Amino acid sequence: MEDRIKSIQTDFDNEIAVVDDIKKLEEIRLKYLSRKGLVPLLFEDFRKLPSDEKPKYGKTLNILKNVVQQKFDDVKNNLEMNASGKKSTVDLTLPARRNEVGSLHILTQTLYEMKEIFKGLGFSVYEGPELESDFNNFEALNFPADHPARDMQDTFFINENFLLRTHTSPVQVRLMKSKKPPLRAIMPGKVYRNEAISAKSYCLFHQVEGLYVDTDVTFAELKGTLVAFAQQFFGENVKYRFRPSFFPFTEPSAEVDIWWEPKGKQGRWLEILGCGMVDPNVLRNVDIDPEKYTGYAFGMGVERTAMLRYGITDIRTFFDNDKRFLTQF
Amino acid sequence: MKISLNWLKQYIDLNDLSVDDVVNGLITAGLEVDEMVNQTELYKNFVVGFVKEKKKHPNADKLSLCIINDGVADYSVVCGAPNVDKNQKIVFAKIGAVIPEGGFEIKPVKLRGEKSEGMICSERELSISDNHDGIMVLDASLKEGTDISEALKMNDVIFDIDITPNRADALSHFGVARDLSAVLNRSLIEPELKFTEENKKSSDYADIIIENEVDCPRYAAKVVTGVEIKESPEWLKTRLKSLGLRPINNVVDVTNFVLHELGQPLHAFDLDQLAGNKIVVKSAVNKEKFVTLDSKERELSADDLLICDGEKGVAIAGVMGGENSEVTVNTKNILIESAYFRPSAVRKTAKKLGLSTDASYRFERGCNPDIVVFAARRCAMLIAELGGGNIASGEIDVYPKEIVKKNVTLRFSRISKILGYSIANEQVENILVKLGINVLNKDLETLFCEIPLFRPDIEREIDLIEEIARVYGYDNIPSVSKISITLDPKTDQSGFSEKIRYSLASLGFREIITNSLLNEETAKKFGNAINILNPQSYEMANTRPSLLPGMLSTFSKNIKVREHNLKYFEVGHIFEKKSEGEIKSFDDIFENEFLLMGITGKSDEDQWYTKTKNYDIYDLRGNVEDFLSKNLLDKDSRYEYNQQNNSFFDQYFELFVRDVHVGFGGKVKTNIAELFDIKQDVFAFNINLDVLKQVESKEKRFTELLKYPKIIRDFAIVLDKSVEYGQVVKSIFAINSKLLKNVKLFDIFESESLGEDKKSMAFQLEFYDENRTLTEEEVNKDFWNAIEIVKKDFNAQLRG
Repeated sequence: MEDRIKSIQTDFDNEIAVVDDIKKLEEIRLKYLSRKGLVPLLFEDFRKLPSDEKPKYGKTLNILKNVVQQKFDDVKNNLEMNASGKKSTVDLTLPARRNEVGSLHILTQTLYEMKEIFKGLGFSVYEGPELESDFNNFEALNFPADHPARDMQDTFFINENFLLRTHTSPVQVRLMKSKKPPLRAIMPGKVYRNEAISAKSYCLFHQVEGLYVDTDVTFAELKGTLVAFAQQFFGENVKYRFRPSFFPFTEPSAEVDIWWEPKGKQGRWLEILGCGMVDPNVLRNVDIDPEKYTGYAFGMGVERTAMLRYGITDIRTFFDNDKRFLTQF
Repeated sequence: MKISLNWLKQYIDLNDLSVDDVVNGLITAGLEVDEMVNQTELYKNFVVGFVKEKKKHPNADKLSLCIINDGVADYSVVCGAPNVDKNQKIVFAKIGAVIPEGGFEIKPVKLRGEKSEGMICSERELSISDNHDGIMVLDASLKEGTDISEALKMNDVIFDIDITPNRADALSHFGVARDLSAVLNRSLIEPELKFTEENKKSSDYADIIIENEVDCPRYAAKVVTGVEIKESPEWLKTRLKSLGLRPINNVVDVTNFVLHELGQPLHAFDLDQLAGNKIVVKSAVNKEKFVTLDSKERELSADDLLICDGEKGVAIAGVMGGENSEVTVNTKNILIESAYFRPSAVRKTAKKLGLSTDASYRFERGCNPDIVVFAARRCAMLIAELGGGNIASGEIDVYPKEIVKKNVTLRFSRISKILGYSIANEQVENILVKLGINVLNKDLETLFCEIPLFRPDIEREIDLIEEIARVYGYDNIPSVSKISITLDPKTDQSGFSEKIRYSLASLGFREIITNSLLNEETAKKFGNAINILNPQSYEMANTRPSLLPGMLSTFSKNIKVREHNLKYFEVGHIFEKKSEGEIKSFDDIFENEFLLMGITGKSDEDQWYTKTKNYDIYDLRGNVEDFLSKNLLDKDSRYEYNQQNNSFFDQYFELFVRDVHVGFGGKVKTNIAELFDIKQDVFAFNINLDVLKQVESKEKRFTELLKYPKIIRDFAIVLDKSVEYGQVVKSIFAINSKLLKNVKLFDIFESESLGEDKKSMAFQLEFYDENRTLTEEEVNKDFWNAIEIVKKDFNAQLRG
């Protein structure tokens, strides 16, 4: 019995391997699978076996039957497909049926990417109004009235006490007034500058501001956190430097440059963000004891970063919303 | 601010350092180098040339043909300058030289058939001056072949440094040198003061009276008599020119020199023009007219400080001198003003007059009250050196109330608390001393410091810590390699609008970001817009009261570049005044985050498989419903279709979620679209996201899936064209069947056979029960009830 099973399997394999038309396939069907074929005959003989021998062959027999049937079906399908293929009228090269695809603005994408990195570093996200009070935008942030520091940010005023915020820092003030430390948050949003519109500057841009206030926040931690950000955002091998700068609401203050070397161009240092330790006056203005708490803050421009990354040379491109631009991102 | 490296070297030894080392030192100190011009590199391939021959160009009247020798070889050069001549020494730009003015490279060329292997340069071409009347003729003693940078002493490096507003102390060469001396730990060399004075005192020549001591805390003057006014010597002209300043005469040039050396603005008066030989510092009279050095008449007010003589104003304090007392060729006797004015007073005046000068720039940031006498002496010494004359002894120094130096205590422990890194106590002290800070006393924990008056920015311990960190070098403070994160619940206030944006992108909308500032006419048309007090231009004079104008102008711009099919959205803030009055508090303003969806044109260009149709109101309504369904709000929404007049929309409809009004829109009225030059249909829908966020359900619950079969029944009816779908559905549900769950309209058509004013509507009704299988009989009963009620309510007829 065992030998017969093996030989039928081998013969079948050899014969089916050379089948190339439906006629020959039919011959094989008749020989092996039809009612009087070799496989059904095997089953008939199997039924005649003494019952103590049946378990020995039952399983192999079933496997044989399945394998033979499966191979037969595969070959049959292939042959049929080849046959019909010649007659097919489906022109697969016709343009596909597509749907309109949506997208987020590249500034939003960039901002969300920054947000994701900072959320991973344990930051919350807060927002605030764009039309702000002079107090929140300047006074509370240690910009004295009639001080040259105010010239750093050309301002759109609504009246003496209200303006379009020049940075997202007033959200810091709102946050520190409403919640007690520890506070670790970023504050993304639109900000406005009263500057002539050109390829380099627009009357508004997006900023992501960060703040961390707790009992042991240090400049070394600020550096570590921003380096971690730069490595995630610009790549692990990013070359950076911290250099002293001035912002009324931080002391010490720094700016971070990264080394930027686009392919085939000369490399140079480019400023990507401003940062520093929260000035004690700012903490005092929101009733946080600067002896007990320290904090850091940082802020970066989304447009500037996106221009750098994607090689966009005119900031106005972002706000023209030309479909040919939008579909590139 | 421009700083010359050669000049800087007068106060600190930098000879062993490369230019890059100096730049790094400046950057470490926080003096950001914006731009740098290295003259040696700039004048590479420019040499002294000798004109051996000059003849007329055979083919051009105005050109001449010269043979130039550079000490090694002869070159033929075509020159167009009228003043070129044989035997002159000239500036010869050889092949490969790059002309500083214009940036083009010299290559061998043929000009009108004659070859030219170089160029003879004018002062303007070398960026030395504006002079382009002819070529620059050099001193005959210069040897041909000498590099121009050496021959003209143009071997300097000029840094353009961005000084932050807190660093008044660094607005001079000496100030920058002081920072470098701290960063590089080198000694600082003070400018020399060596002169002899005549017996007659300065106070014998003039009187000084300060009437406004608040705005002018100190005023010093020194007199030099018998001065000859003439051109400055080369060294001084070079210094000034290297900073881009125009030399005028020896006296004016010296005052400018001292300003850029020490940071103290000075003014030289013609003493003989000062009526009564007297200076009176006082507030101007309202509407007082005054003509400044630039020959412009300025109107002053009582807030402005005016320097007067016995009769009239002679200078606007700290800003600009007057024409009436300026130094001229006839001047013999000079009074040097060296004063300290209150920074915010100067700032106010300069800002009001729109006049920013080297002097006002420094005064408004805060000058050094302690340097006024030193600066006056240095100025007098240099004037006497360059113009002869006698220096009157002493100064008239009116300083009614001495400005007290601040004392600041620094705890060493606080440095590491802020920086997260400790710096050795000795090093801390050394840094402060190098910066000119006086350590009065110290113990193991503390330094007691006296802050010099040239550092008005240092008032507190934290300011000293910044100085230490800065000079120590930010890059030398190691970053931490791990941080701890607090476990408090985290908030993401931007999460809602993020979800909204992604849901729109998934519906095929592209996000746009438009300017939130609009011109007044447009802004006022779309709402109660808020004016900007000081707009940049008429085009951006108001904040937007609606996102619609931004969307329409975006559509318009796209259509102009033949992008006709647009499906856009914007999420942004809009602003309105609640009433007409002055904005006094946030309560007077309405600022909300809005979403605007806008579609125009077709969903796609025509394709082989379909001819696309133009967007219509049902596309917009579909977008709104898809948006709600995407955000799981569709079940809680209802619409009101208001055919009443709306100023912006036809086919107007409003959206309510949980019975709260959250949105509105429709087909943008043709006259509105035409304002933006749009001739195709535009559909737009506004949603107030702040309100939607309030009514959004935070809870999501699973609904058990239906276990029993649904039974579907169809029917079609003919009714009057005027009957609305909504009425029919309402009527069907009025049968109050517990089994009828859904009604779907699957066909609608009109034809002649139905009759005029008739239409056919085909409905599919869906019946099921969550807990059991329905019987045919009960479904049939409700189904026929529905048909009957529609027939009755609308006088309709059941079809086939």
